[in-house]
Amino acid sequence: MLLGLIRPTSGSVRLMQMDPLRDHVRALEHVGYSPELPNLQSFLTPQELLRLTAKELGLGREETERQLPVLLEDVGLIQYQDYKIAKLSKGMVQRLSVAQALVGSPKVLILDEPMIGIDPAGVVRFRSMFREFVRDGGTIVMSSHILSEVESLCTSLVVIHSGRILFRGGIEAFIRERLGSRSILVEIADASTKAGGGSALLGGISALGGVKRVTPAPEGLLVEVASDSDPRAEISRLVVEAGAMLVGLGYSRSELDEAYLNAIRGTAAQ
Amino acid sequence: MRASRVLTFARYEIRRAVARKKVLALVALTILLDTAPYYALASSRTAIVPPPLHPYLWIVGVFVPQAFFLQFIALLIAAGSMSEEYEQGTAEVLLSKPVSREEYFFGKYLGGYALLVAIVVLNALLSIASATFVFGPQVQLEILPLTLVSQAFSALVFFSFAFMVGELMRRSSLSYILSSAVFFTSQILGIYLNLIFTLTGGEIYKIANLYLPTSPVDSLPLLLAEPSFPSTVLTLFRFGGATPVETSVAMSAVLIAGYALGAVLVALAYFRRADVAKRVT
Repeated sequence: MLLGLIRPTSGSVRLMQMDPLRDHVRALEHVGYSPELPNLQSFLTPQELLRLTAKELGLGREETERQLPVLLEDVGLIQYQDYKIAKLSKGMVQRLSVAQALVGSPKVLILDEPMIGIDPAGVVRFRSMFREFVRDGGTIVMSSHILSEVESLCTSLVVIHSGRILFRGGIEAFIRERLGSRSILVEIADASTKAGGGSALLGGISALGGVKRVTPAPEGLLVEVASDSDPRAEISRLVVEAGAMLVGLGYSRSELDEAYLNAIRGTAAQ
Repeated sequence: MRASRVLTFARYEIRRAVARKKVLALVALTILLDTAPYYALASSRTAIVPPPLHPYLWIVGVFVPQAFFLQFIALLIAAGSMSEEYEQGTAEVLLSKPVSREEYFFGKYLGGYALLVAIVVLNALLSIASATFVFGPQVQLEILPLTLVSQAFSALVFFSFAFMVGELMRRSSLSYILSSAVFFTSQILGIYLNLIFTLTGGEIYKIANLYLPTSPVDSLPLLLAEPSFPSTVLTLFRFGGATPVETSVAMSAVLIAGYALGAVLVALAYFRRADVAKRVT
């Protein structure tokens, strides 16, 4: 719908302030798109596919010659540029799909499940590419079911379930809204020692405003706090004052999953 | 609409069609059909082909495939042109770029048609080369350009029809079956209507036959070429069973243009309005 390929049954879409259905060419001039599990032309090679994309975008020969090797290098396919796409693995095709979305230096990237089928090294490479893209002023609209990916890459979130928007806003706000309490993992280097897991430290953290419960964990301490409070700064001060070595302090990684599940359960109950 | 983008899609379509084994097999069959019969005829040349006809034997290879083979190639190229892109999910990626639907549509149409024209030309050249090699120098070749144009023009009917069916159905197998069914039904119906007209003399059968889509396709190249040849040679044109209906060049041309344009307009109108789904399975 965002790309003007499907007509909405109701409502409207604006992309680069234009209607992608009526003004398809201008609206998509600075937009790159990578579909979920891309079915790219198996009879072409990666290089030929990117050339075709460049021609669709109307890039000149010089610009095409400049961009293509860089993009193929960026996605790790430079040594496979003359292989038929039919011979590439699923992960390689996914990488190529992202590369074709980046041809022409778009300002907006629309990515549908970009990390599916990608090996761990590729995931790291993609994360860094996407962050660089955003740092350079670009915008990424990404759909994903991998919430850890969403948490690590996205700044704002739209949760859609059964065709309905359940939430729109920041990730932190979503978690706060959906979870009654949040878990902060306090990673301490010497967690087993008296300083790390000592009762003074436990007592000090428990006494902080908004803290509901503190339990020892293998990495240090797990602090359950009310969702509308953020005592991380005080916790870090207390750990340091207790003479322990603070290694890490942050919200538990599974929070977004829990919040998402809560949100879905909420709609099921309705 | 930018011509450069239409050309890009046309080139892409040729590349895509050539990559399909079906089309390659048909080209191989064209080569076989254009060479083997001449060697077969040569092996018993005194019995089958009288020597005065030898300089005209190129006609057999050029005109015999007109009624069935070239139309069938047109159907095969066009029926998959749009539908396979939906089935393979490649239409979505191609149309997610800043290109208009018209550029994509006409690019694919022209690319497929260019490939068909190339096969028509290949068919003619191979026929002439084989006839020359086996039976000696060929004559009356000055009619060839007009013949090629008329054959390419005639092929527009079933090429456009299959292209339209491919867009409407978005399933390649269904498109092949449906467009082939229409083609063969029209051919068979034409034979029956001709027979009934011969037996009864009823004008209605003749008129009905005239408007069948296969009638102008079969007739136009013959109507344009036959007057340039001596009457003794005309049997060569009917070698493959092609039977032109009694019509004029103008009428045939108008019917061909009408059928082709109608199909293209229906396909374009549908394509402009229809959703491009992720992948048709």
